[in-house]
Amino acid sequence: MVIRKFSRAQATSYGFLFLLTIFCLLPFLWVFLASVDPNARQFLQLPQGLTETHFVKIFTTENGGRWFFNSLVVVGCATAVVVVVGGLGGYALSRTNAWWKRPFLYAIILVRVLPPTALIVPLYKVMLTANNVMRGFVQSIVPADWVRPTMQIVGFVDGYLGLILVMAALQLPLALWIIKTFFDLVPKDYEEAAIMDGANVFQRIRRILVPLALPGLGAAALLTFIAAWGDFLMPLTFISSAELQLLPIGLFRAFLRVNDVDYGFLCALALLYTLPAIIAFSYSRRFLVQTFAGGVKG
Amino acid sequence: MAMTYEARLAWQNRLLLLPGLVLLIAFVLIPAGTAIWLSLTNEALNGAAALNPRFVGARNYVRLFTDGGFWNSLFVTFVFVIGSSVIGQFVLGLFAAVALNRPLAFRQVFMAAILLPNAVPEVVAGFIWISMLAGGEHSTLSQVLAPLGVPSQQWLQSAPLLMIIVVNTWRGIAFAMILMTSGLAAIPADVYEAARMDGATARQIFWRITLPLLRPTIFLYMLVSTVGTFAIFGLIYTLTRGGPGGATEIIGIYIYNQSFTAYQLGFGSAVAVVMLAISALLGALYVRILKVEV
Repeated sequence: MVIRKFSRAQATSYGFLFLLTIFCLLPFLWVFLASVDPNARQFLQLPQGLTETHFVKIFTTENGGRWFFNSLVVVGCATAVVVVVGGLGGYALSRTNAWWKRPFLYAIILVRVLPPTALIVPLYKVMLTANNVMRGFVQSIVPADWVRPTMQIVGFVDGYLGLILVMAALQLPLALWIIKTFFDLVPKDYEEAAIMDGANVFQRIRRILVPLALPGLGAAALLTFIAAWGDFLMPLTFISSAELQLLPIGLFRAFLRVNDVDYGFLCALALLYTLPAIIAFSYSRRFLVQTFAGGVKG
Repeated sequence: MAMTYEARLAWQNRLLLLPGLVLLIAFVLIPAGTAIWLSLTNEALNGAAALNPRFVGARNYVRLFTDGGFWNSLFVTFVFVIGSSVIGQFVLGLFAAVALNRPLAFRQVFMAAILLPNAVPEVVAGFIWISMLAGGEHSTLSQVLAPLGVPSQQWLQSAPLLMIIVVNTWRGIAFAMILMTSGLAAIPADVYEAARMDGATARQIFWRITLPLLRPTIFLYMLVSTVGTFAIFGLIYTLTRGGPGGATEIIGIYIYNQSFTAYQLGFGSAVAVVMLAISALLGALYVRILKVEV
């Protein structure tokens, strides 16, 4: 009796999970098949052969290499900024007992829930102003025909720097929270022992704090990378030149070409764009619960 | 003039926090303040108002509350959040977590399959679903449903809101499942043992034990997921851009369209302020009800 009931529950579980798996994986099937199908179309079909031309096209006829490079530069720099700035700040938040500690941490939670879509218009205005200031500064120190290339790097609108800082700022609250939580677990005794032994601030950071907080810094870095890599709104709004285009917008624009939608190429590009996100996601899984629950356990 | 050790530490902490504070002020707080200011002006991206924006008081807000598009976007957002995060993702994620909580063969395979959609960037998710939904009789969904007698159609035209709910559910089951799995792990095994001793059925165990003990986790999920769903942009923008006829114009898309397509920055900002207020309210709820420890 008991055994029969148990196996019925088991069977229900299998059935449900099987259907759910089909629902989750079916949309991917088309992308996989179409990316190697010389005759790829918008519809799911068995490939009529195997080809690598779609992948080759990304880097030859299309500007895919450039998009990859831009995405790596912007997302990589944003992640680095978050780890450094969040590392310093998270440490301070963990160690301080000042009156502003609680208000600051509550403010971080509030900032974390503000949707970027609601901030995008005023953010654009702020960035435009910052860009004009930066342009004036750049014009005063580099020759006229160097202004444009320089602005592509340090500009706030249609430049690397602005996008890097915006992406970093948006991911910073979560990173501060995670890193602060990790430093809370690092006993002060280690530091005090190091001070007794005459270690200066930099030695303490390098030898004691960074190694001990490495899981926290790593978690913050991974989650920042995933969020920034997948972000669509910021690159859509702040990048307009073709040579600065990021992967998500490159894919989106290629898809919008009215007369020339090459589904094989699009699927190949989507696969390559997704790969780093999946790799990062698989590493971040064990942190995910902690971060989502971050507010609760503190 | 040597500072005391404590005073030096206090200054060191403030200094270490400074770069982060600057970033947050420059790119979050100032824009949030600017949104409030812009919403009181007739600022535009082009035309006379672009050169010389004027203070117009509450006019944008008056217009907002009489504007059909705004109410439509609030309604669509509401249905979208309830349909995808409160119902779709939650129910499927909870069942998946419960099912995977027992020893099954292929457990890792099932888990990986459910997690995969969550790892995909928004644009890719939107793009992937084009093949599923667009193309009438050729679309994958039409082909799957044809044997069941459902007439093939352009799904994004005939049932747009339902379709973006399905797509977002697809993306978010993993998140609900991960949270619920961690919640289930926190329920002591002897509670189940005792229930089984008393002859409780699987259904009774689920409704009387699992669900009540999961309550805190469910609440956490609802809040975080609502906030997250509220902020979605790229997924809907790639799939429908808010169309057809505003049927999928969630509030984020509405703000973007009003500001950058209709060029009305002042009006768009008024909508943004409403959205910020709702989010801040949810954030305050999060802190209050979950009793966040800092």
